[in-house]
Amino acid sequence: MSFLSRSFPAILTCGLFGLPLAAQSLPAPEGEPLLTVTGNIALANQGDAAVFDQAMLEAMDPVTITTSTIWTEGVQTFTGVPLAQLVDLLGAEGEVMMATAINDYTVEIPREDWVENGPIVAFLNNGEPMSIRDKGPLWIVYPYNDNPDYQTEVIYSRSIWQLDQIHFGD
Amino acid sequence: MQAAAATRFRLPGWVRVAALVLGIGSSLTLVAGLSWMARQEVDGLSTANSDNVQWGLAQAQVELLQFQLALEEAEDDPDRLGDVKRRFDVFYSRVSTLDRGEVHRSLRQNPEFGALQRRVASFLEDSAPLIDGPEPALLAALPQLGDHARDISEDVRALSLSGLGIFADASDKQREKLALTLALLASFLAVLFAGLVLLAVSLARVARVADARAQEVQHTAARLRTIVETSLDAIMMIDRTGAIREFNPAAERIFGYGLDEARGRNAIDLLLPAEEAASLKDGPLRLFDEGGRLPPSDRQFELTAVDRAGRRFPAEFSVGSADIDGDRVFVAFVRDISRRKAAEDGLTEARDRALAGERTKAEFVAVMSHEMRTPLNGLLGSIQLLRDEELNRTQSALLDRMEASGRLLLGLVNDVLDLAKVEAGKMKIERRPFSITQLLDGVVETTSPLAAANSDELSWSWVGPEREGAVGDVRRIRQILLNLVGNALKFTQGARVDIEVEMLGPDGGLAEFRVIDTGIGIAADDLGRIFNDFETLDSSYARQAGGTGLGLGIARRLAGLMGGEIGAESEPGEGSLFWLRVPVGPPVAVPASPKGTTSPARPRLQRPLDLLLVEDNEINRFVARRMLEGDGHRVTEAVNGRAGVDLAEARAFDAILMDISMPVMDGPEATRLIRTGRGASARAPIIAVTAHALPEEVARFREAGMADCISKPINRGELLDLLARLLDPEAAPRDAAPSPEPEADLIDEAHLSDLLTGLPEASRATLLERFLKEMDEAIPRLAAAPPEEEGLVAVVHKCAGSCGTFGLIGLRTALARIESAFKRGDAVDAAELRALADLWQRSRKALVTWRLPA
Repeated sequence: MSFLSRSFPAILTCGLFGLPLAAQSLPAPEGEPLLTVTGNIALANQGDAAVFDQAMLEAMDPVTITTSTIWTEGVQTFTGVPLAQLVDLLGAEGEVMMATAINDYTVEIPREDWVENGPIVAFLNNGEPMSIRDKGPLWIVYPYNDNPDYQTEVIYSRSIWQLDQIHFGD
Repeated sequence: MQAAAATRFRLPGWVRVAALVLGIGSSLTLVAGLSWMARQEVDGLSTANSDNVQWGLAQAQVELLQFQLALEEAEDDPDRLGDVKRRFDVFYSRVSTLDRGEVHRSLRQNPEFGALQRRVASFLEDSAPLIDGPEPALLAALPQLGDHARDISEDVRALSLSGLGIFADASDKQREKLALTLALLASFLAVLFAGLVLLAVSLARVARVADARAQEVQHTAARLRTIVETSLDAIMMIDRTGAIREFNPAAERIFGYGLDEARGRNAIDLLLPAEEAASLKDGPLRLFDEGGRLPPSDRQFELTAVDRAGRRFPAEFSVGSADIDGDRVFVAFVRDISRRKAAEDGLTEARDRALAGERTKAEFVAVMSHEMRTPLNGLLGSIQLLRDEELNRTQSALLDRMEASGRLLLGLVNDVLDLAKVEAGKMKIERRPFSITQLLDGVVETTSPLAAANSDELSWSWVGPEREGAVGDVRRIRQILLNLVGNALKFTQGARVDIEVEMLGPDGGLAEFRVIDTGIGIAADDLGRIFNDFETLDSSYARQAGGTGLGLGIARRLAGLMGGEIGAESEPGEGSLFWLRVPVGPPVAVPASPKGTTSPARPRLQRPLDLLLVEDNEINRFVARRMLEGDGHRVTEAVNGRAGVDLAEARAFDAILMDISMPVMDGPEATRLIRTGRGASARAPIIAVTAHALPEEVARFREAGMADCISKPINRGELLDLLARLLDPEAAPRDAAPSPEPEADLIDEAHLSDLLTGLPEASRATLLERFLKEMDEAIPRLAAAPPEEEGLVAVVHKCAGSCGTFGLIGLRTALARIESAFKRGDAVDAAELRALADLWQRSRKALVTWRLPA
């Protein structure tokens, strides 16, 4: 792991807590961009957008949840960045985010879901990166097993796979 | 009525509560269960394991189309090969989701769907190496891929439609199930609702009943309040600690405290005098300590109460207790009874005064009557003495008048004294055997002078079976008969007066005496009142003949005292019938009357006697002395018992005349001393001289040692007769009726005399009576019994013993002979037994007619 990637959380923390919001900046992605965040956000690294690669996501204190899904067989582990953490990092505002997949599927995820123990932006399934054929590379996964409230049609529809874009606000 | 109807259908409280709880509980459980089921169904719909599966299936078609488009564009523009790869991957991802997703499990199990899916999957597997391979090869294979994609598009479309059909079916089923559950839930809710409605209705009814009751309670309370407020008695409510809680207007009026003043104060401290309250704590007021659980009699009491002004007054308390909300309270009714008390006291005092007055009057009458007799005795005695003087005819006539007036006056005084005695309850009736024949002979003899004076014929006769012996107070019967006969003679001139006697009653225990005259008669109106006191029908006659009008009143009282009756029937102009009924018991043997009837010939003592006269009254002493000295006797006087004893000690008198009531020492005491002493006169006969000796008094005199008794005023003839009888038996005729000679071999007279002498007359009669009764029963039984009969020997033995005691030697010898035969086991002759009857009859007659030698 490079120095940068190792020191990123520290820098990020300094930036978040040590510097005024306007002065903060997000490092540019070095690998293949996986996720582009636009809209009402405070940080950006490519024009108005914040672009993340795998390394940047891995550097953001990812969490692992264990759950089954209706689209897979058996209990799975998913590792990724909590949506709430992403929102905090970017200083995103608004009542709703629009998430869009490679296959052009788009869904609204309201602010009520950007909570702790809520959904994560998963980049590992059972410890492995996910290919597009396996609904990768990014998949918004809710802890369905831990919270029965997440076992609804609406939540299932928000569990977008092959995610590549998020837009805050309308 | 309403309440009654409600109670009729009422179940026990706990049952109703249990049923209610059970009903509600089971309803809730059912609703919860159904809700849970519905929730499951709804959850099944909402959690859907389906993720818009339809959309996903349709999307597979879209994504295949996008792949085909990308293929076509890449044929024109090789730069867009990356797009082909991405579209392939997306389609691949979609189909593999169908292959692996839980949500599609049911779809995969459908054979048609499975076949389609496998064909699509094999297309993907076949194409993947090309997509993942080098770009030139891919570029070259684009037309071929396009063809394959076209081929497979039909399958994807079929796959989508098949999935849609399957899911539609499943959804339908699920909806039906949900609908069923909901229907069930709805119907049950309907039932529950109905139940609630029912509950509401019954609650409304309960509320209505409660309302009615509340109203009733209110009315009752209002009525009670009215009662309490209008009560004339003080009513207060006192709590456990004794504090007043309620105080009605009457209480305010009686005690002078207002409700506000009284409330909360201690009732005992406030309403009772302090010193009394303390002593009452153990008395009536312990009621409060014992929680009012006392018998009703202890809950009512009278106390002295005190009002606000300090006035003390007697008050009647009635205290009850009740539990109100688990707290014991007392309700006290208090009545000011000072007026009642005053009235009661007044009445009691008046009554006491009246009674005392009556008593005083009665005593006065008794004392006066008694006192009047002493001077009368002096007068009459002096008149008798005067006759011994030489008198001319005028003097003699005057003396007759004086004596007649004196005797009349004495009769009146005796009447009044009798009446006073009866009224004071001091008149005692004696019961002793007497002879009816002798009684009536005596009555006729006594009244014959009056009959002769009025030219009347007077006689008596038996009606029905005759009977000799009777038991009763012969003195009182004689008194009544003399009164009746006297009246009859007074009102009858030159006609007949008959006395009839008849035994009545089932056992002949009632004697009826009838005095029948042929005189003027009595009007029916007057018959009722002739037995009243002071009643004289003919006042002019009463003045002429003298009389208090007390005679019949006294007769009525005496008859009543003896347990008898007296009455009269009359026809004006034809005569009257007065009757007297007295119980006289069963027939008895009559011992000789000590006095007997007055004998026609006056016996005279042939020798002069030396007599001691003990008498405190000087006149009496003087009269008696003159009478006795006039007959030739010598008289020594003593003024009281003590002096009499001293004189009797020193000198041997022939006889002693002893007054009863005397100062220093009375007669009986003096008699006892003389008898027990060893003086010269210790054996001299002592005669009691008394005014009105009652039978028990006579017994007492005899006990003291007196031989006989003579009444004041002393009748000269009687006194001399008595002396003759006591001191010179030879000279005195024993009896008017000739006494049959007892059969010598029947009675041992000496033995009988020993037995009966010294016994009081009454005991003698009882003893005889008992013996006669015993023998009258036993002898006939023996006479009639066959000799072999069991138990005869015991009867024989007993009779023999009794005969021995009474000196019936003849009978006793016969019985002893029979007894010995029995004991020896010899045959007893039945004739011998039969002979006992005759022997007994003869012995009985001898015994009954035998008289104790005087």
